[in-house]
Amino acid sequence: MKPSKPASPGRLLTQVAGERRTGALVVGGHPGGTVYLVEGTVSYAESVAAPGVGELLTASGRLAGRTWQAALDAGTSRAQVGPLLLEQGHLTQGELELCVLGALYDAAYFALSPASAPADFLDGAGHWIGPVIRVDAAAVNREVRRRGRLLDEIFPDARVDVAPVNPVPRPPLQRVTLTALQWELLVHCDGQRTPADLAQLLGRAGYATIQELRRLAALGLIEQPAVRDRTTDKPDFVRLPRTTGTAVDVRRPALPVDGPTVPVHGGSAIARLPAVSGDPPRQSPEPDPSNANGTTFRSPRLSRRKPGAKLPKDVLAAEPPPRTGTDEVLLKRIRTALRALR
Amino acid sequence: MAIPGAFGAGIVDYTTGFPIASAGSAPNADHDAAAAGTADVVQAANSRSLFVSGVPHDLLEDLIITTAGGYHLLRLVPTDFDSRLVLWVWLDRIHGNLAVARRRMQTLADQLVAR
Repeated sequence: MKPSKPASPGRLLTQVAGERRTGALVVGGHPGGTVYLVEGTVSYAESVAAPGVGELLTASGRLAGRTWQAALDAGTSRAQVGPLLLEQGHLTQGELELCVLGALYDAAYFALSPASAPADFLDGAGHWIGPVIRVDAAAVNREVRRRGRLLDEIFPDARVDVAPVNPVPRPPLQRVTLTALQWELLVHCDGQRTPADLAQLLGRAGYATIQELRRLAALGLIEQPAVRDRTTDKPDFVRLPRTTGTAVDVRRPALPVDGPTVPVHGGSAIARLPAVSGDPPRQSPEPDPSNANGTTFRSPRLSRRKPGAKLPKDVLAAEPPPRTGTDEVLLKRIRTALRALR
Repeated sequence: MAIPGAFGAGIVDYTTGFPIASAGSAPNADHDAAAAGTADVVQAANSRSLFVSGVPHDLLEDLIITTAGGYHLLRLVPTDFDSRLVLWVWLDRIHGNLAVARRRMQTLADQLVAR
């Protein structure tokens, strides 16, 4: 493996495709990504800013999380996940090809669009999805450039693509018409989630997400990152998440808890958590319902008592409960500060 | 080609106007332009209140554009996972049959993802 050096990922792709090589072109930077080649043709691509085949299929409910996980477990080691899903009849050939093709071009945009980024070529590396489709590298490069131009025609500010999304408090329009995806984005943005977070959360294509965000920016419905950075870019003051941002958490319906609602020992919150959940693994572990400032504290539920009766002994002994809210605020502040530095 | 009187056909990603696959001839012999134009028309229809229904699940199915010489049929391909695909067929007005072509396209769009 060569040491990574800044280069044009697109040009590097043309080069390795011209040499008909097999392996993975790993592009660093932000968001970065990886393009997989087989004998000079592109077989798959992935990027953190673009949901992969698994996220697309499970977030839409097309495949159950466990079906996907089972295919991963069985097919990852021999790079046959895609063919395995076909063999087992979970997907049709057409579905799989369209899904992989969409994910490929989507991720390729994020990996290849930077003019310069640290890039490596790992010889011989393959992707676990296996042989599904092959795309000409020149076509991928051409499409990446075309997509970049399309975005700039909508709203020529690339910072919209990476900055955390913040809705404006008052729209500069009297009547707002949204597409379905724009609505999803506005409902789920909270001043913390970046476009990549939103795409992964909603299982929507990364490019479609930033395209709609550029449209929203052009309409003046989301705050422009530049304005926000200038006003709050002070070293000792970090903007906290907006309290008006009432972003909805995407959650799959939780399983009913059949354990006791009254904690039996020590008021431990863990005792009330469902032991098994069918959620896919990418669900973020943020069960804390406290608000942005971490001020609300939900005390453990108590059983009904007679008027004047004392609190149960174990609940009294457990006071005061650890206030985890402060840590969370601190972590959020650090995260916001780190984002501002980038 | 299964649709009688068809000059050409293709599948387009209508967020980007990217031609995923095409066959036969395209208007002005330019498949890329046909794909980009298809995407523009679908985007326009999808974002204008005239064509977008407020009734739940009353989604856009297809668009038919008629010229003196032919028909252009654009049919949205429904997939469970997130994608924005449209199937287009360019049909000869004399030899083609609009009703038959529309039916065939519906089956074709369904077969594309059905088992």
